[in-house]
Amino acid sequence: MAERIGVFVCECGPNIKEAIDLDTVVTFAQGLKNVVMVKSFNLLCSEAGKKLIEENITKNNLTRVVIAACSPREHEHTFKKVLSNAGLNPYLLQLVNIREQCAWVIKNKTLATEKAKAMIQAAVERVIHHEPLESKDLECQMDALVVGAGIAGISAALTLAQKNRKVYLVEKSPVIGGKVALYEKVFPTLECASCVLDPVLDKVLHNEQIELLTLSEIQEVLGFFGNFIVKVKKNARCVDTKTCIGCGACFEVCPAKVKNEYNEGLDERRAIYIPYAGALPNVAVIDREHCLHFQTEGCNACQNTCPFSSINYEENDEVQELRVGAIVLATGFDVFDPKRAPRYGYGKIDNVYTSLEFERLLNSNGPTGGKILLKNGQPPKKIALIHCVGSRTREYNEYCSGICCMYSLKFAHMVNEQLPDSSISEFYSDFCLPGKESQGFFNNLLDKNGIEFVRVKDLDSIKFSEKKGKILIQYKTINPPSSTLLKGGKRGLQDKNIPETLKSDPFDMVVLSVAIEAAKDAQDLARIFDIPQGKDGFFTEEHTELSPASTIKEGIFIAGCAQGPKDVQSTVTQGQAAAGNILSRLIHGEKLVLEAITATVDEDLCSGCKICIGLCPYKAITYNSPESPHTPLWKRGAEGDFEGDKGGFSDKKENLATINEVLCRGCGICAAACPSGAIKAKHFTDKQIFAEIEGLLNTNYAKTSKMSLRGTG
Amino acid sequence: MSKPKIALYWCASCGGCEESVVDLAEDILQVAEAVDIVFWPVALDFKYEDIEKMADGEITATLINGAIRLDNQEHAAKLLRKKSRLIIAHGSCAHLGGVVGLANFYERRDILNRAYKEVPTVKNPQGILPEIKTKESGRELNLSGFHKTVKTLDQVIEVDYYLPGCPPTPELIKNAILAILNDELPPKGSVLAEKKALCNTCSRRESKPDKVRIKEFKRLYEIQWDATRCFLDQGIICFGPATRGGCEERCIKANMPCRGCFGPTDNVRDQGAKFLSALASIIDSKDEKELEKIADSIPDPAGLFYRYSLASSILRGKIGTV
Amino acid sequence: MTKQSHHSEIASPSVRNDKEGCFRKGNKAIMSSFEPKIIGFLCNWCSYEGADSCGRARKEYPSNFVVIRVMCSGRIDPQFILEAFKDGADGVMILGCHPGDCHYKEGNFNALRRYTLLKKMLKQFGIEEDRVKLDWVSASEGDKFVRVVSEMVEKVRVMGPLMLIQKKQLKNHREHRGNL
Repeated sequence: MAERIGVFVCECGPNIKEAIDLDTVVTFAQGLKNVVMVKSFNLLCSEAGKKLIEENITKNNLTRVVIAACSPREHEHTFKKVLSNAGLNPYLLQLVNIREQCAWVIKNKTLATEKAKAMIQAAVERVIHHEPLESKDLECQMDALVVGAGIAGISAALTLAQKNRKVYLVEKSPVIGGKVALYEKVFPTLECASCVLDPVLDKVLHNEQIELLTLSEIQEVLGFFGNFIVKVKKNARCVDTKTCIGCGACFEVCPAKVKNEYNEGLDERRAIYIPYAGALPNVAVIDREHCLHFQTEGCNACQNTCPFSSINYEENDEVQELRVGAIVLATGFDVFDPKRAPRYGYGKIDNVYTSLEFERLLNSNGPTGGKILLKNGQPPKKIALIHCVGSRTREYNEYCSGICCMYSLKFAHMVNEQLPDSSISEFYSDFCLPGKESQGFFNNLLDKNGIEFVRVKDLDSIKFSEKKGKILIQYKTINPPSSTLLKGGKRGLQDKNIPETLKSDPFDMVVLSVAIEAAKDAQDLARIFDIPQGKDGFFTEEHTELSPASTIKEGIFIAGCAQGPKDVQSTVTQGQAAAGNILSRLIHGEKLVLEAITATVDEDLCSGCKICIGLCPYKAITYNSPESPHTPLWKRGAEGDFEGDKGGFSDKKENLATINEVLCRGCGICAAACPSGAIKAKHFTDKQIFAEIEGLLNTNYAKTSKMSLRGTG
Repeated sequence: MSKPKIALYWCASCGGCEESVVDLAEDILQVAEAVDIVFWPVALDFKYEDIEKMADGEITATLINGAIRLDNQEHAAKLLRKKSRLIIAHGSCAHLGGVVGLANFYERRDILNRAYKEVPTVKNPQGILPEIKTKESGRELNLSGFHKTVKTLDQVIEVDYYLPGCPPTPELIKNAILAILNDELPPKGSVLAEKKALCNTCSRRESKPDKVRIKEFKRLYEIQWDATRCFLDQGIICFGPATRGGCEERCIKANMPCRGCFGPTDNVRDQGAKFLSALASIIDSKDEKELEKIADSIPDPAGLFYRYSLASSILRGKIGTV
Repeated sequence: MTKQSHHSEIASPSVRNDKEGCFRKGNKAIMSSFEPKIIGFLCNWCSYEGADSCGRARKEYPSNFVVIRVMCSGRIDPQFILEAFKDGADGVMILGCHPGDCHYKEGNFNALRRYTLLKKMLKQFGIEEDRVKLDWVSASEGDKFVRVVSEMVEKVRVMGPLMLIQKKQLKNHREHRGNL
């Protein structure tokens, strides 16, 4: 049966009418094959216009519609609705852009008319090959998974936790709060960190929608957006969280001593411990690797002591399967190890600390109770803070870690407060002070005594040496020197005869502002979640400006320093953004609507040549050979577990390529590459595009202006 | 009941398709018993006039191999079309133009000059080129006109089925004839071979990683080739993904990569362009300069991609010559 | 018998536009005004939007340029480009997103790979390299769009029409073959 095409031409007020001879166009369209009616109208997107189209579809039994008007990017969705209302599948429509790409860009009316005719012919020939398409929808899980219970993960979890939505918060350490819980104060407000953080941590612990899994790690992720299956390994704590009150009786009797990683190894803890005072949840944990009960003899000291019988050596590791709709990765960062740069003498020269170690020295729950002390137990008199250790250098990390200048200033404030008679020297090359508060924060320091700023020409030139228990810093200075001198300092701005390389006065203590680096397990996580990492190891965002909290893997979002170095405010913002992304897509009571314009593989033609497999940016194409090591993600979930699977989203087929319609975004790269023509890119099929090409060129528009050299023999 | 009549004819070809029929070996007796071969210039002594005398549609099926380049070939094709119920384009040349079709990269004048004047072994001091009519010793001699381009069989007459291959395997030929005799033919216009591309039946497919990427194209002599591993995975260009299967991978088994003689699968309009697309897509580079260099490592891309299918491709040959 | 009864001088396929704007065939000057036809394959997210932005700003460009919209430049099959030439295009443009900006991450690199190989091959078909052009135009680069399109039209105008006579002479008996 022949198609019945209706062509509607919009005058768009004067916009199209005055630039194109619409009478000619209408007459021309009427003469085209399969066109049964042509109508022009003043404004097709108006209510009257839409009604006209709808009525004519019904009246003329149209099977296809061509609308020559403005750009499809403007009104395609409008007109698709009109078709739906008239009972016609919305994809049986082709728009012709005779406004933005014709009337508005061609002054000559004749030329514009000719082009419009060619464009309409192309549309008429293309639309014949259109097929009705349905947007499939998918039943999905509302619950979410947040990996990492630092401030990023917590921000995301709290935003996500609503009635009818559960949030699994998975944390690999025994406590929550991440790095911020280790700080004494936060910049720029210099508020006490635990005052800021604890209420938030409390909210997490008491929120009924949040299920916290500490000491837990992600082992495997299968599935896709709306239907992830995640395997979580819960390591045994060996202490009952319901009965333990954190009284600490067990620590005192534990004979095993271990370097305390929460204090950056500056002091020791026991094999049964709470990482630091005030840690939440305030429950002890047994480090089985160092606990004597598990290593050699059956030491039961803690169990015998515990007044609440909370200790259970028999507790086993557990593997739990979570069904979630979306995932937020907020797995944080690690810092640059200055041992990689021997010139800092870290680990060799005493009293050289990283900033993270210094944070612990400053913290009242740290190894020194918050007192800044040298190794010999005395307070330092001269402290140097070195900026950009491992940052902004080709040698290690080229990027700026963004927070070190601010925390170095914070340190200067705090040292000045605790040790007002000490002198502090900040060795810097440039100052990074973005945002509303930072410059003011810096300015406040200028009024204090005993703080000086030493501008270094080349940060890589800094070298430490030891002399009589003190630390000497050798560095290249900017000549003429531009060190700002404050009240009571030594060097003056007028000194002209200063050589380029200087050796500083001896310092008692040096703090290295180490770079923020990707977490050591970032690579494992990237592999498990199948998301890309940048060259520095941070997880790559989907789009730098427009989608900074998502990844290219649909349904997996990122927040915090796992995505790149940033301060607390930005981290919280990103955590909330990631949650917002999820809240706007996974709406309770609504199914996930999938892209209708996807690609499909014709199983009768696919030869299993695998050319397409690696081409999909979304990894939507997999090869289902039973012998292949790359079994598809949804393989286990597809066995009848999800309602949506009945539509054949993920039927397993042997020795063929299969496209997961949930992941497919309809770019068509695979269709163009398939050497068998087995992949069909819906709504942009080969047939449709060939028809469009032929329609555009097999017109007078193309022919009359061509010279013919025939008959010249 | 008289036996069904079969005819075989050759146009611009090499004779390989005829040899493939002979390669049916003992099976040829089976065929000879079941049918009446009424025309087969290479093997039997029937004359043109015998065909002209037949009624329309009297011949059950005619297998025509070779491309169409000469007037007499076109004439014969049209005559046989008239007298046959079914026409089968036999072999790559009839199906796609074949290697013969590569002549479409040259102008007719240049071809004749080369063949009759420039080839080193030719002795033609007067530079005589063939003419359609010549007078020699008082007699008029007629030669068939030499067309401007090579055409596939279906660009000249309507074709019912295609037997692909250079040449088609004896098995495929036998199966085709049996299908005709038993009236078990697929829809008109079908290619009588596999539906899927070669990779589907190739034993080397499982050695192919899921993500094939080529950094550099290699020739066979340049590497220590592995006879069990997919050619593309070794950097050697193999046309298998873009070529219809059914040949039992004879070339692959002889450790030669596929060259595409069975032509494209059903949904493809232009085999060369499609394979170019597939091959380019798996080049492991995003850099313009590097890509140019890799492209330059293929000295004759048109010959490589259109070795068998030029005459049937979208452009058919060099602009101006076609 | 046939039209090719005598082997006369076959017209050279490339027809040059001389100073007077005439076409010369052999020694005969033929007055004509050649308007090239350029087909552009534009990707929905960048170049198509770039073209629309020209429209909104009323920036003119030659009417010789007609657009086929695809979702991504990576969708463009070399078969389309050949078909365009066969059907009468004198030039073909592929306009996609800048490297790194592709809406689908990698599509434009696929377009680049195919185009590089195709361009080289088309030379052997007598289609000059300059008749196919790949370029990157972002959604906000209306001016660049006008420039590259106008330049292409002028360049092809100088090169002359792409002479493809065969399509008119050859009846296609293969409609029933396969799906295309």
